[in-house]
Amino acid sequence: MNCPDCKDKLDRFVDRELNNTEVLELQLHLEGCPECSDQYEFQAHLKRLVKHSCDCDAAPAAFREKLRQILT
Amino acid sequence: MAESPARTAFAEEALTHLDTLYRGALRLTRDPDQAQDLVQEAYLRALRYQHSYQTGTNMKAWLFAIMRNLFWDRFKGTRKEDVSLDDVGDFVLFEKLRDEGARPEADVLDRIAASEVVSAVEKLPPLHREVVLLVDVEGFSYKDAAQALGVPIGTVMSRLHRARQQLQRSLYEYAVESGIVRGSTNGATPQ
Repeated sequence: MNCPDCKDKLDRFVDRELNNTEVLELQLHLEGCPECSDQYEFQAHLKRLVKHSCDCDAAPAAFREKLRQILT
Repeated sequence: MAESPARTAFAEEALTHLDTLYRGALRLTRDPDQAQDLVQEAYLRALRYQHSYQTGTNMKAWLFAIMRNLFWDRFKGTRKEDVSLDDVGDFVLFEKLRDEGARPEADVLDRIAASEVVSAVEKLPPLHREVVLLVDVEGFSYKDAAQALGVPIGTVMSRLHRARQQLQRSLYEYAVESGIVRGSTNGATPQ
């Protein structure tokens, strides 16, 4: 695998959408390529940051109860 | 009249996905009251069309599909109003940090406030925002996201890629404005 191939697959790697063979090929490339490895770390970090920043809003308890009353 | 046990059980299961729907509605509408209206309407519609849900399939994706379709019908009018993002090339924030010798680049992300990340997500065009919500925030697979959005998996991938490019662009602008990084010497947003 070369760097352009790796970049093409980074999104799917970060999102755990590659098959086992592709994962092994990509991991092998990352071990020998600091630049792609840095980019992977950055993208994985950014994905975690987006998740943690956006997933803290839970539905208000009163709204949950109101829905339960309406629906059940 | 008391609801049937089957309907009650269905509603209870559906309500286990309330936080996902509420977060999605909040990020799409950017308004807590509108988000609650949207989610309530989505649940009522889900119960009305309970028969169309296939047991064993992804209920969360099915519910999200109902909610986002209502959003587009009610809040956005025609879907053609949405702005599509162009492929803006490189990942701006990563590339600029690398050029400036900031290593490891990911450490800079720790200095960006969560509220700024939310703001950057909310600035994405809705068609791109909803893909980020599903895949990055709620952990949907591409296949489930494609089901929820009613598009091919390839469309999920391309929207996600462009959304992430745009997110980096927004976060880079914030990082420059707030002094986290120095920014381009000419002060222009990098292309």
